[in-house]
Amino acid sequence: MTTHRPAPRPDVRLDDGAMEPVTCTTCSARVEVRKSSWEQTSIQWHGEALRACLERRATDPGCRPNATFAGCSALDIAIREAAVRGALPVQSGDPLPVNPEGESH
Amino acid sequence: MTAVDEVRRIETDATPTRFARGWHCLGLAKDFRDGVPHPVKAFGQELVVFAGEDGTINVLDAFCRHMGGNLSQGTIKGNELACPFHDWRWGGDGKCKAIPYARRVPLRARTASWPTMERNQLLFVWNDPQGNPPPDDVTIPEIEGASRDDWTDWVWYTTLIEGANCREVVDNIVDMAHFFYVHYSFPTHFKNVFEGHVATQWMNGVGREDARPQATQSGVPKMLGNTSVAAYHGPSFMIDDLTYHYEDGDVDSVLINCHYPVSENAFVLQYGVIVQKADHLPEPEEMARKMGDFIKIGFEQDVTIWKSKARIDNPLLCEEDGPVYQVRRWYEQFYVDVEDVSDEMTERFEFEIDTTKPNEAWRAEVAANIAARASS
Repeated sequence: MTTHRPAPRPDVRLDDGAMEPVTCTTCSARVEVRKSSWEQTSIQWHGEALRACLERRATDPGCRPNATFAGCSALDIAIREAAVRGALPVQSGDPLPVNPEGESH
Repeated sequence: MTAVDEVRRIETDATPTRFARGWHCLGLAKDFRDGVPHPVKAFGQELVVFAGEDGTINVLDAFCRHMGGNLSQGTIKGNELACPFHDWRWGGDGKCKAIPYARRVPLRARTASWPTMERNQLLFVWNDPQGNPPPDDVTIPEIEGASRDDWTDWVWYTTLIEGANCREVVDNIVDMAHFFYVHYSFPTHFKNVFEGHVATQWMNGVGREDARPQATQSGVPKMLGNTSVAAYHGPSFMIDDLTYHYEDGDVDSVLINCHYPVSENAFVLQYGVIVQKADHLPEPEEMARKMGDFIKIGFEQDVTIWKSKARIDNPLLCEEDGPVYQVRRWYEQFYVDVEDVSDEMTERFEFEIDTTKPNEAWRAEVAANIAARASS
């Protein structure tokens, strides 16, 4: 028995800028990334990248009911570097913030 | 390429003709232990929930396979449910155990039974249109506070929502802006991760002085903000691990937001709260009730919107919206046969929103609301 359902639609925002490949400089995991602004990122992982991620393997998710891996800091750095280099577009078009809010606290 | 001045049309796909595969919470387990069978309309059918003498809670199809009597009008006898029509006795496994006036039970005397689970003082039923048993790795996590004496009992709310499909409530997990406009919260950090059968939301926020003014009496601690990690474990059961930060310490709580479908156009929404007792919290039960009542206001506003809105499968999003398309892609896994679940439905996806612009706008709106109140 198979199920016939309409295929999920792609995010309309991808019309303005697609997901781009980024390779983690720590573990070589390859993911697809879209940066909407300097502080906004979406990341699509695949099975192979998840298996490659060292930080995920090393992270104890903890014991709270929703314990899960929140994200990889090494990958976040690789993504930021790719954006600074210009290899990964930033949709907002804003220049690199000199003192980004996210790093001030 | 669409011309920019062309009217955008709302696209609406048919609502699914089946109901999600997964564990669905039916409510507080103790409410089903009052010695009588309970009718429950769910998954497009009529079910009956009953607790046998052994304490096990069972879920069966409501209609007796003999002459169609409604078992929810029947009587619990031992571990069996007796039909009100001819006293046929049904076990929790779906088998007819006895017919008091017959020499023997006929062959094929078996009705539909649903797998059940009690966890966190709540009753769950497993729905699978393919009839497979629940896999071990798809379950509801333990909530420590739900069985500890230093936490309150559940304050629990149940409401039937007619005229809306349950996808509307699931969309909420990615919809940052609606938490400001509909639920009177003020998100300052917002991130989603979907992976496997779990969809998680991290949301930190600050208080809304315009909606929930702080206590002004001296000695009453000021609320500084809140941190929340909320996750759907499967299609319908969300646990929100929510901490309010006060000047004199944290208040830990767990909220549940869950539902079960009645039909494709109706569902029962349930939510509940437990709060950890702490020295600096003199009335934890009252705190849980107040939190629940505040959540109720937000949900009532959700419901008004759901009942009058269009089902929209091509939402037009701005960059500051959450991953609506991706959460629906994740949600789709529960509506296809298990062998048709694709990698793209379950592969890890992360989405963090830049709250700079929304926060600027909301700060201005809060200030304007306070000023308007002061001058009126």
